[in-house]
Order: sequence, then structure tokens, then C-alpha cells
Amino acid sequence: MKIALTYLVLLVLLVGAVVLALLVGHGSLADPALRSTLLGLRATRVGAALLAGAALATGGAVVQGVFRDPLVSPSILGTTAGASLGGQLAMLALVSGSPLAGLAVSAEMVLPLGCLLGAGLSLVIVLAFCRERTGTLTLILTGFILSSLFLALSSFITSLAQDSWDMSRAVVSFTLGGVGGVSTRQLLAALPFVGIGIVACWLWSDTLDLLLSGEDEASSLGVEVGRARRWSVTWVAVLAAAAIAVGGNVGFVGLIVPHTLRPLVGVRHRRLIPACALLGGAFLVACDVIARVFPSRSELPLGVITGIIGAPVFLVLLARSQREVSHG
Amino acid sequence: MADRACIEARGLTVQRGNRVLLDQVSFSLSGSQVVALLGPNGAGKSTLLKTLAGLLRFSGELRLDGREASQLDQQERARLVAYVPQHSALDAALPVREVVAHGRFAYRDVWGRPDRRDDTAIDRAMELTDTRRLADRSFSRLSYGERRLVLLARALATEARVLLLDEPTAALDVTHALALLHLLRDLASRGCLVMVALHQLNEAAQASDRALLLAAGRLVAAGSAAEVISAEPVRRVYGVEMVPAAQFGYRLPAEKDTAP
Repeated sequence: MKIALTYLVLLVLLVGAVVLALLVGHGSLADPALRSTLLGLRATRVGAALLAGAALATGGAVVQGVFRDPLVSPSILGTTAGASLGGQLAMLALVSGSPLAGLAVSAEMVLPLGCLLGAGLSLVIVLAFCRERTGTLTLILTGFILSSLFLALSSFITSLAQDSWDMSRAVVSFTLGGVGGVSTRQLLAALPFVGIGIVACWLWSDTLDLLLSGEDEASSLGVEVGRARRWSVTWVAVLAAAAIAVGGNVGFVGLIVPHTLRPLVGVRHRRLIPACALLGGAFLVACDVIARVFPSRSELPLGVITGIIGAPVFLVLLARSQREVSHG
Repeated sequence: MADRACIEARGLTVQRGNRVLLDQVSFSLSGSQVVALLGPNGAGKSTLLKTLAGLLRFSGELRLDGREASQLDQQERARLVAYVPQHSALDAALPVREVVAHGRFAYRDVWGRPDRRDDTAIDRAMELTDTRRLADRSFSRLSYGERRLVLLARALATEARVLLLDEPTAALDVTHALALLHLLRDLASRGCLVMVALHQLNEAAQASDRALLLAAGRLVAAGSAAEVISAEPVRRVYGVEMVPAAQFGYRLPAEKDTAP
């Protein structure tokens, strides 16, 4: 009963956030000439925020299960930075003058592919360095170093892109995160990645629950641990890639949302994953509304909003976990 | 069928780098008995249990319930052999019944739906371990002793014929340790092969039918518990003299002792 009520509240929150996001923003819906155009533009960015939020929150719940560590998320592990770098490389590959520019490929398809490769690469590196008994701080440090490396490479790419004003602006906007410039085609390209990714993760729920007992115990109970880790990480890479492709580099969603939900729906992934998808979507749509209505000369980047909310939450969680370790 | 060996090991060897953790260990064990696995720290008890549970690579021959272990996939093996580690990594706020239900993973289909047979096995495992009263509580909030019982229930829910337990009485008080050993005897009487690593020789002498004594990765004695836990092997492996008659011991009250 409590679970059903929680899902109902999450659904109401999601619908509320979507309605608010459609009604709020620059331009008046009262003007009949502008109404359909404004609603169309807002619907696209609402859809992008929804997909990115659902994907990142689900990815967060899954990596926390795979690494048996509640303090990791796609952004903490460097997955989003890797996806972002992959996306930038893909954008650069399409600049006129590059070998790929002559090919008849659309940016909407190349961008998610680049993000997927970047996210996959970063997760493979983390998995190679951090086996099961790796402590939280080692995981976080590995993610931090990877993020730093990817950001340094991103800066390098930004400097390369400065020859083209449009490309430079697109790369910077992509790095800061935001759903403002998302096209319907981009949205439609990301939709199957997010949908399939969430369903696939949900199908791995029981296995993820067993991994909470550690690799040895899970294996003795019948889990093929190596296969489970490989597939889980693949689906997290797919989700992170899709999220970054439509939302740019947005951090901390995968950390905050699962943490908020575990006391309400429990730690079982079968219940946690759908709840994460709902709240993750609602959270990022709400963050996008804040980004749009915040009084500033230009629209605030979405990644800035999630960073301002997420970083203190992360520090509180880290301090709490260190306290638990020191008190046994 | 009843006479077929549950475990047949020949020349079982486990190496980590240049270190030999298990060295040419051979034995054969059938069901309906409690087998104590003895030896000082570092003798290879945990390594042997993990190897039998399929968690370590080995060389040599190993047959489980008549089947070549290397031919079994993870789920088939989990249905034959259940393993309870000394220290569980589980500390999640899962409901106790859910933790016990993990023992049924090897029987689930791709959708993970439990059927009536799963429910029956879970209920029976919780009944045997007296953990039904904990069913809705969070695993992370249980005491150490309660956690050990729940993990044993999870192993029993697998309905495996071979049960491997790594120092299950470590850090348990006298009452809980005796109750646990009593339960292991009960499981053996129901047809299981219960193989249990123990540090306390008096516990082993009291609770087991047979014993395997390991030292530095080698099997140095195997036989009935009375033969293995005797003056000469104990002196040779542990370097201590056995006192022929204990001055005092423990046992559960009569009503608990006869309880199913």
C-alpha cells in the first residue's frame, strides 16, 4: 500500500513538473500566434529533460548496485564526463574539413554513438581498476581522475573548435549541460536508448539484488557475476550516453534520486528502478524550469543547477558514510 | 542413489601465484552426515570450501553428486551445493524473507517470478532455522546471530544436498552455537551432507560424524570424528596435548535437544 502510494506521488510529481514546464518560460501562451510554437519548443525540452533525468537516475541505481556502493553514480565514476567527451569528439568529427564530414551521416545519430563509446570506455576503465573489494574512496578517486582527464581532453577539443563560432558555442553548451537546443530528431534518436536501457536494467533487478551480497555469495547462489557486471555496465553506458546526448553534461542526478527513494521504496531494484525513472525525470524537468525562470542575463545551464543541488548532497552522504565506517 | 558420493575430490590443488593453498587434497563424502573441516589458521579450510562452492579455480578432479564440477554451469552448481561464508558481505536493508528468497535464484526463469515450489522451499528453510518471526524485519537491523541464521536459511532454500559452512559458530554465544550445531545434525539426518569448518575441536567432536584435518593446504587425516580428533593428529597439527576427559562442557536443555 505504501509502495503504491509512493508510486502515485511520484507520478503526480512528474505530471506536475511537466505541466509547470509547459506553462512557464519566456514568451506568453496567451498570444494565439505564438502558442503552438512555444508549446512545441517547450515540449521538446521537457521530453529531453525527462529522458535524461530518467536515464541518469536509473543508471545511478544500477551502478550503486553493481559496485555495492551508494556513493557512486555515473557522474562520480566519470561516466558522464566520458560520454560528454565522446559526444564532443563526435561533434568535432562532423565539422567541415574532417574526414567524416563528407559522409552522409546525421549529427543526431553520431552524437549518441560518440557518447556511448565515451561512456563505455570510462566504465571499462573503472571496472578494470576497481574490483569488488575496492573501497569507496578508491572508487571516487578513480572516477575523479577519469573525470579530470576527460575534462582536460574536452577543454582541448573546445580550443580546437574555436575556429568555428557555431561549433565552439555548441561544444561549450554541451559541456555545461542543457536541453535548450534539443531537436525533435535528437529526442527521437535518444528515446529507444533510454526505453530499452531502463527495461533491460529492470530485467536485471533480481541479479542486482543478489550482487548486494558480494560477488562470492552471489556466485554461490547461481549468479554468473562476470556476465552480470558486463551487461549491467553496458546498459548504464547506454543510459548515460542517451542522457548526455540530449542533456549535455548533467551531474549528480544518479546520486540524489536513488538516495531519496531507497527509504521510500526499499533497496530492491525491481521497485527502485521504475521509481528512479519517474523521479529522475521529474527532478530534471523541475531543474530545467529553474534554469529557465532564474533571473539572469541568459539561461542558466542545467548542469550548473544539478551541480549546485547535488554537490552538497554528495558531501553530506560522504560524511555520513565515513562516520558509519569509523563507528563500525 | 543414497550411496552415491556427494563430493568426490581427487588431487584438488589451488594455487595463487606461486603459493599453493591446497595441495593434492583427495576425499570422498556421502550424504546424511556432518563432516568437520579442521585445521589451524591458514590450513586451507576456507579455500577448500570456496573451491567446492565453485568460487576458486583449481586443478585436479571434482565430482558433485556424481557430476563433473567443471561441466556444471553456475545455476546447476547452486542447486547442488549451498555455501555460507564466515563473513557475509550483505548489509542491505532487504526484508529477511527476501534475503532467504535469494536462495531460489538458481530456479528462477528470466522474469524472476517465484512459483509455489519457491514459496514452499522458503517457508521450510525459515521454519527449520526459526527465522519466520524475522520475516518482515530488515536484514541490516538484525543481530550477528540472527544474520547467521538467515544466511543459513538462504542456503537451505536452495534445497542443495551439500551444505558448506565456514566457521558458522565463530562469534556466537554458547546457546546460539549449540543450537546451530544441533540444527546441522538435524539437516544431516534429513539426508544432507553438511561440511562445516570449525575451530573448536570440542564442538567438532560433539557435532560431527566424520572429520578432515588440514595443515598447510594438505589433508593430513580423514576418518571418523573420534579417530581424527585424537591425541596423535591433534599433537602433530596443532602442537597441543589433548586432555582425555573434559572437566566441563555444554549442552542444550533436554526439551530443545529433542526439538525438530
